[in-house]
Amino acid sequence: MIRDCDGIMRRYFGTRFLSGAMLALGLFAPGLALAAESAAVTSPRVTATLLSSRDTVAPGERFKVALVQKLAPHWHTYWLNPGDSGEPTQIKWDLPAGASAGEIQWPAPKAIRVEPLVNFGFEGTVLLPLEITVPAEAKPGETFELKAEATWLVCEKICIPEEGSFTLDLPIAAASTVDEAAAARIDAAIASLPKPASFRAKLRDDAGKLVLDLPGLPAGANDLRFFPMSDTLIEHAADQPFAAGEKPALTLTRSTVFKLAKPEVSGVLTFSEGGTPRAIALLADADPALIAAGGAVAPETRPTVVRIPMPAEGADLTLWAALAFAFAGGLILNLMPCVLPVLFIKALGFAQLAHRSRSEVREQGLLFLAGVLLTFMALAGAVIALGSLGSSVGWGFQLQSPPLVIALAVVMVLIGLNLLGAFEIGTSVTGLGDGLASRGGRLGAFMTGVLAVVVATPCTAPFMGAAMGYAVTQPPAVALSVFLALALGFALPVVALSFAPGLLRLLPKPGRWMLVLKQAFAFPMFATAIWLIWVASVQSGPQGVLAALVAVLAAGFAVWLVGVTRGSFARRAFGSVLAALVVLGAGWFTLQNAVPGAATEARAGDIEAWSPERVAALQAQGKPVFVNFTAAWCITCLANERVALSRQEVKEAFAKLGVVYLKADWTNRDSRIAKALAEQGRAGVPLYLFYPARQEAQAEILPQLLTADTLIAAAERAAGRNAKTAALP
Amino acid sequence: MQSLTRQTFIAGLALAGLAFPAATFAQGAAKVGAPAPAFQAVDVEGKTRNLQEFAGKTVILEWTNHDCPYVRKHYNSATMQNLQKDMAKEGVVWLSVISSPPGEQGHVDAAKAKDLTVQRNAAPAGILLDPKSVMARTYGAQTTPHMFIIDPKGTLAYMGAIDDKPTSAASSLDGAKSYVRQAVAELKAGKPVSEASTKAYGCVVKYAPLS
Repeated sequence: MIRDCDGIMRRYFGTRFLSGAMLALGLFAPGLALAAESAAVTSPRVTATLLSSRDTVAPGERFKVALVQKLAPHWHTYWLNPGDSGEPTQIKWDLPAGASAGEIQWPAPKAIRVEPLVNFGFEGTVLLPLEITVPAEAKPGETFELKAEATWLVCEKICIPEEGSFTLDLPIAAASTVDEAAAARIDAAIASLPKPASFRAKLRDDAGKLVLDLPGLPAGANDLRFFPMSDTLIEHAADQPFAAGEKPALTLTRSTVFKLAKPEVSGVLTFSEGGTPRAIALLADADPALIAAGGAVAPETRPTVVRIPMPAEGADLTLWAALAFAFAGGLILNLMPCVLPVLFIKALGFAQLAHRSRSEVREQGLLFLAGVLLTFMALAGAVIALGSLGSSVGWGFQLQSPPLVIALAVVMVLIGLNLLGAFEIGTSVTGLGDGLASRGGRLGAFMTGVLAVVVATPCTAPFMGAAMGYAVTQPPAVALSVFLALALGFALPVVALSFAPGLLRLLPKPGRWMLVLKQAFAFPMFATAIWLIWVASVQSGPQGVLAALVAVLAAGFAVWLVGVTRGSFARRAFGSVLAALVVLGAGWFTLQNAVPGAATEARAGDIEAWSPERVAALQAQGKPVFVNFTAAWCITCLANERVALSRQEVKEAFAKLGVVYLKADWTNRDSRIAKALAEQGRAGVPLYLFYPARQEAQAEILPQLLTADTLIAAAERAAGRNAKTAALP
Repeated sequence: MQSLTRQTFIAGLALAGLAFPAATFAQGAAKVGAPAPAFQAVDVEGKTRNLQEFAGKTVILEWTNHDCPYVRKHYNSATMQNLQKDMAKEGVVWLSVISSPPGEQGHVDAAKAKDLTVQRNAAPAGILLDPKSVMARTYGAQTTPHMFIIDPKGTLAYMGAIDDKPTSAASSLDGAKSYVRQAVAELKAGKPVSEASTKAYGCVVKYAPLS
């Protein structure tokens, strides 16, 4: 449940835009990692990073990196042979072409007692070092991108499987630079790795017991423990009586699942020599009689493990994770092109007001917060109420109604016109800020909060999918707290700004630039309106477009009418009544014409429509099936279709592997799709499922943000080919 | 005649158990090819069950802990439930064993155990409650899941992992080899079990302290 949030955001927004935006908002300080250490992946149990001994790397060189796991007290991760239970940490690399990663150099394990059993692993802080080779063709000036997906099991008595993505961008230079601090840490870890033993041990049978002869053991060694690499050699928790003297030997207990794969046994021997802990890497020759008993004929194979690059989201989220995701999702919503202008103008208003009254700014910040909270709570209430009434709704349901989509488009256009100054009377540069901040005063601040949420709803941030999916499957109190976390994240930047006058001072002095910026911000609003009208066209066909444009026209006309009929009461009354009539007429026209279902088929194109029966039938025919749960109003879905699904290499891989691509289009309401989403613990789209080519086999859930590589690897798994995986050493 | 031999043996084993309390580690008496250790445990219906009553039938013991990620892998995907149902069709007796003591992960009372069965649509023939971890010590159960198969003659035919993918990742289920299905099929065909003991994987069995 932990994730490299930073990584996802970078992929989704592009590094530069995001870091720029983060700096501007003063958020996410850890977003910029130090060169030699990746951003941390954290859980309450583990803080993990990827550490590099180099700040810059040179072509053709080999250098050391380490996966660092800082463990909470009493928690442990596992050695290569985990002992009686558990699973070792694994790293799957995604390196630039020509680069390679060596195997983990395992530190000496500790025997961690879980009476009456034992685990072999690590407590405290553990470094798993290994070597990376830079290709000779690497070009100075470019970046060497180290990417790793690591999985580990962390246990106290209970066990939690965790995973994380790590990225390190190291500049390539003609001569590399060593990061002294990081290199010292890695070197220290390497220095304490088990040293190859200066002697060969011998393993023999003695009346059913196993005896490990240690002919070269230093005299005075005591407190011995042998950790075999193989997990089928000895009973891990059994005592290992030590016979010192001329012929030092350890007595081991044969495993109940005793197997001897090779005539040579390897492992780590730890002992104490004059009070100093030592660890040696031991090789032992097995007695021929033992080899026969252990069936050492077939080479030992440990299965390779196939992992989904990112964990399935939704069903398995904990409350805290859902709250964190919702909060982060809310923060990200601030950056959406349809939201940023509204908030920025609010911030400018604060800047103006701040010169006069700080308390007023604070009050407005709180009113904005109230507006945001109430609107989100209202939305949450609607989702929960509809859900409890048995209606198959999910997050984004509001966009399944064409009239609502059109209403949002109208709101966008009106905001855009307002930003361009179409409704302002006597606008002047100096008056601008005053007007923005004081017009409507308190009500204005509250309404800005409401408006910000309304314009944000079309732009569901990627994080929100999982949190929302979690929320709608939970009791109302839990669902409400998830929405509350979302609202708080969403409101945070503006509220923080209202409480921190220092931040406001960072803004340049009011002037012409404010007017220009304000006008420029009109265009993202118009762009959003275009997109919404396109959604309406998908939902309702040409009639939907007509209805949307008529609604926009009527709204613009009505607002203009109210503006020009100021003055006497009679004039105002005339203007208002006429405007109301125009709006009502356009509203009626919209409801008549914007009916769902008119044009969904057209969007599917040549891709077959999804149905559960079709999936079952195709699986029965032995075909792998990919299902894309999508909607025209889902930006993440469209982005995935653009950057991953429509890529040539994906199409070729699908064709080569015989993958059948089915599309479940949720642009309009569809209870079967809502049910299928709920079964996967989701409340909304996107959802990507890969069904293996076997009857009734369970689907693999792909991440919400797709890449061509993810898709191709998943296709290979579904088709039964082995994807590139990290084989256990 | 055969059953008499078996009962005598079991009585002997029980005596041995009294004479030599459990060792300091969990190497139970379970050994593939040898008679399966006797057990006596109360099931969720409050009935005391023992191995003798299943003489003539193949019995599967499944050590479980519903909150363990490895157990969840097999139940969330319905793999375990399907295996239980298929085994029932084969006439195999499936007993789930819960050895977590009160206060430890996986501990449940009879009502909760039954509730979990309904919720997960599971189909064991019985669920044995072993909150003092006596049965776990007898068999040397190490992980959840840990599987033991006892043939109709009372001989332990298989002990170890449920399949060959020692990970909690759900994706590993696809293409996994079920050691249990393999062993039961071979037993039915009268063949020796080809992989009769494997290294179990999963969460550690939470043992009750020795009183």
